[in-house]
Amino acid sequence: MVYYLIVCRSLTYAQRTAAALERAGIAARILRSPKAIASTGCSHSVKISQRNLAQALVVLNRVELSPKQIFITEADGSYREVQL
Amino acid sequence: MIYLDCAATALQKPPEVTWAMAAALREYASPGRGSYPASARAADVAFRCREALAQLLGADSPEQVVFTSNATHALNIAIRTLVQPGDRVVISGYEHNAVTRTLASIPEVAVQVAVGGLFDQAGDLAAFSQQIDGDTKAVVCTHVSNVFGYILPIDGIAALCRDRDVPLIVDASQSAGILPVSAKQWGTAYVGLPGHKGLCGPQGTGVLVCGDGQTPVPLLTGGTGSESLNQQMPDFLPDRLEAGTHNMPGIAGLLAGVQFIRRKGTDAILCHERQLSDRLAGALSLIPGIRVFRPKEANQRTGVLSFLAEGQDCEVLGDTLAASGISLRTGLHCAPLAHRTAGTLETGTLRASISPFTTPGEVDALAAVLRSCLEK
Repeated sequence: MVYYLIVCRSLTYAQRTAAALERAGIAARILRSPKAIASTGCSHSVKISQRNLAQALVVLNRVELSPKQIFITEADGSYREVQL
Repeated sequence: MIYLDCAATALQKPPEVTWAMAAALREYASPGRGSYPASARAADVAFRCREALAQLLGADSPEQVVFTSNATHALNIAIRTLVQPGDRVVISGYEHNAVTRTLASIPEVAVQVAVGGLFDQAGDLAAFSQQIDGDTKAVVCTHVSNVFGYILPIDGIAALCRDRDVPLIVDASQSAGILPVSAKQWGTAYVGLPGHKGLCGPQGTGVLVCGDGQTPVPLLTGGTGSESLNQQMPDFLPDRLEAGTHNMPGIAGLLAGVQFIRRKGTDAILCHERQLSDRLAGALSLIPGIRVFRPKEANQRTGVLSFLAEGQDCEVLGDTLAASGISLRTGLHCAPLAHRTAGTLETGTLRASISPFTTPGEVDALAAVLRSCLEK
């Protein structure tokens, strides 16, 4: 299944992000960022389904939460950064 | 046992505090250290605790709420961030050693004490206005005196600091959970407070609320579960100040305490504590030789009441009361400056402090036992 990972600067930021998305009806799950995309060593990401990205960005913009980076899963299981 | 020392530690807590702590010991690992359920449960509780505290303390965001081990820890971070050797700092005449000793440990800091008359809000505000100037690097002010329950004019002091662009640190040790604390509205650089007093949480918990744009200096460095390749502490909150494993039983208990306070409401708690301290003051005033120290204006008082018995050593009398099953605080209450301001540095005082769980019968019993002790 294709999904997006919204990389956050901290666990608390990821929790704020997930809470804002859930309040808007978007299913969001916090997880530790895969090593392949955790450029600074350790971080947390919020996982959302492919169909929700556009709405999620609108919600996050409205509540002034800025994703650090966003990645999409590729068919081979790797991650590709999405340029906004 | 009649417990009247909640200004030191709230011994009586809502039962859900104990339940939450027990659950944490059984079911919570470290927040952020893994994606497994026990870590996620801990992370969820820590976040809900930050959210509840942010709402109670008037902070914009849960990220501004930092967990510390107590108020002294929080105030140390705030003071050591803002005050450098040789700086000039203005403080109130009612500060605790958590503030004065910390300032004394920084070389060559010039501490100016702004004090009007005793329990005189207008005088105190005028003194702050006179002392805060362009050379002032920080103002540190307690919201409520831990010795006398006197409420300082913090709204006015905060306005002065905003107008003169001087960072303000508020010690909310005796006000959090009892009076409105408005970090954002005050424009404070930092607010420090304990979890184990008015918030009814467990010992070993404290909170530092960081103001917008602040970059506090960590007292501890170490692992945060974030940016692990970076050998400096992260530049974002709360991670910057929270090195090492969190006190999850404490945080879970603190959340339960904060939820209790929010359900009950600070207005109702303050009203209860004022009523009982007024009742106690009235009863004490009928006992010959007792001198009570409290502000004249009711709206400048909380549920903390200091008193002395003429010719009696406060420690000896406190010991006698303890033997009769009454627990209250005696001596200088770690606040010699407040006693100097009140003229009680040589004697100290006995201090009774009321909690949401204190009953009228308990304060009546204190007065009755005290009368009995003094008549012997």
